[in-house]
Amino acid sequence: MIWVAWRQHRKQALIETGIMAVAALLLLLSGYQMIHVFKSSGLAKCLATAGADCGDLRDSFTNHYNGYQFMVPLFLLAPVLFGMFFGAPLIAREIENGTHRLAWTQGVTRKRWMSMHALMVVGFAIAGSAALAGLVTWWSHPLVSASGGGRFAPGIFDLRGIVPVAYTIFAVMLGLAIGALVKKTLPAIGLTLAGFAAVRVPITLFVRRYYLGAKTAMAPFGQFKGPHLIMGQPWVISQNTIDRLGNIVARGGGLNFDYLATRCPGITPPSPVPGRVAKPAVDAVQSCIDRLGLHLSTMYQPAHRFWTFQWIEFGIFIALALVLAWFVVARVRRLA
Amino acid sequence: MNALEASGLGKHYGKRWALENCSFELPAGSIAGLVGPNGAGKTTLLHIAVGLLEQTSGSIQILGEHPGDEKVLSRVGFVAQDTPLYKAFSVADMISFGEHMNPSFDVAFARERMSRLEIPFDQRAGSLSGGQRAQVGLALALAKRPEILLLDEPLASLDPLARREFLQTLMEGIVDTGVTVVLSSHLLTDLERVCDHMMVLARGRFRLIAETNDILKNHKLLIGPRERAGAISGVAQVLHQSATDRQATLLVRTNGPIIDPSWMVNQASLEDVVLAYLDSRSTADASEHDLHAVREVAR
Repeated sequence: MIWVAWRQHRKQALIETGIMAVAALLLLLSGYQMIHVFKSSGLAKCLATAGADCGDLRDSFTNHYNGYQFMVPLFLLAPVLFGMFFGAPLIAREIENGTHRLAWTQGVTRKRWMSMHALMVVGFAIAGSAALAGLVTWWSHPLVSASGGGRFAPGIFDLRGIVPVAYTIFAVMLGLAIGALVKKTLPAIGLTLAGFAAVRVPITLFVRRYYLGAKTAMAPFGQFKGPHLIMGQPWVISQNTIDRLGNIVARGGGLNFDYLATRCPGITPPSPVPGRVAKPAVDAVQSCIDRLGLHLSTMYQPAHRFWTFQWIEFGIFIALALVLAWFVVARVRRLA
Repeated sequence: MNALEASGLGKHYGKRWALENCSFELPAGSIAGLVGPNGAGKTTLLHIAVGLLEQTSGSIQILGEHPGDEKVLSRVGFVAQDTPLYKAFSVADMISFGEHMNPSFDVAFARERMSRLEIPFDQRAGSLSGGQRAQVGLALALAKRPEILLLDEPLASLDPLARREFLQTLMEGIVDTGVTVVLSSHLLTDLERVCDHMMVLARGRFRLIAETNDILKNHKLLIGPRERAGAISGVAQVLHQSATDRQATLLVRTNGPIIDPSWMVNQASLEDVVLAYLDSRSTADASEHDLHAVREVAR
């Protein structure tokens, strides 16, 4: 039975292993080089020093590795590749070729056949995605440090820790379920990609922030240089400028000059055409801000919640995978 | 003992009944031809029998067990229509597949058959000819040493020479094993020579289930006067009639000797009889009758 599962999937397994080996080699080579620059340029030391201004070092580093920065999101697709090339075809191809009628009429029950194949594929996917997640975490850490966003930021959070493994298990189960439903390999592969995105993207963008109640930090406007009020590298969900009563004056943490102009005489909005009207004097603006009691309000998830969030997201995707597994077993029982 | 036994078996897809109220018993050791036009329900019946499909109503037992149960899976040999094989597997891989997927699998037997048929072990299943494919499928099913072998349209994609060779190797393969065989085909001529039982299926219902010998014994072709006066003694049912200006030809089911001198009694061919049953509109009583005949034999 194990031999059969291996014989059937070995081609894809070898191809996928080959792709991962090439990716790993590229990551190792570029990673060592990047870490060397990260250290030798003094950026690593600067970032480790509290309160140091690393702006120039940071800019030159990120400019130099701009191309790599764009590669980071590509790794978000790694889990779904397992779903597309191992999950989706597993049942769909059998039915497309009619070989399920051969496989399911041998001396092994369908349930056992299904479990053996699923275990082999899921096991392979777990090993592959865990190895890749470790490598990508190591490789991307200079980029993540230099960008200042931290490991909790959406898109970075998704590439490290335990969630890539959960995404992968979910993707494989989704592929199996869609394959068992549409019974055609190519449409199943396409729908697996679409379905994976349809679940992952909204969870990352809209659901994850609510796993635990977000915290809010307040600071008088203008004295707030960065999230230094907040320990570590939190996930900043939103920043708004608010007045004394808590009304939002400007979204995104900027200033609304139209608002200031109506309340503080002597302040005129800066003209879109440069040179026509003088910029409002900095002092006048600051005194207006102080008079109105403007504050910068930052909603964030504290850095120490990183692993809690990892486990919550892990649990969500494993639960989804279990529901899909149940569906696959029920569906396979009724296929002929 | 019955190798296959069904009562009131039915299966519908949506609103269409693919199989309706089928009851039969097939004694162990028989070689049965499951005949019917395309879409008659042959594949549905075989799929239910091997546990691929679940019936909608009624019950069926294969080797005394519920189809698809772990206990019975390894005792049943099945070759699906078009003989599905893993295209990327070599012939040797296919034999390993059988070995790993069954608690007992006669590898030596399968290998020996392949060598004898000159099918190379390293050839990919996807590049086999239709005849070789059918032979590999048959070898895999036979190497399970099954107690019942079900073959769905095994001859459909074969040329006449390959058909003959296939039937020959099938008969060699089962000789002295006592295995029950069910072969389906939409062409009766394929099965006539090898089958001792006929199961005639049309539009989801059985029209005739009987031993081939009984069918030949109980059906006659009568040639006689065009104008018929009353019932003919010894005729239970007229299945089909045709007439020229002078005389009429009747295909009848008999229930006794026909001694009326105005009728010339000829032997009916199996094909004539089966076609007549496939054509007939109301055959409930006929199948009832023949079901009875099969039961008698089973005893």
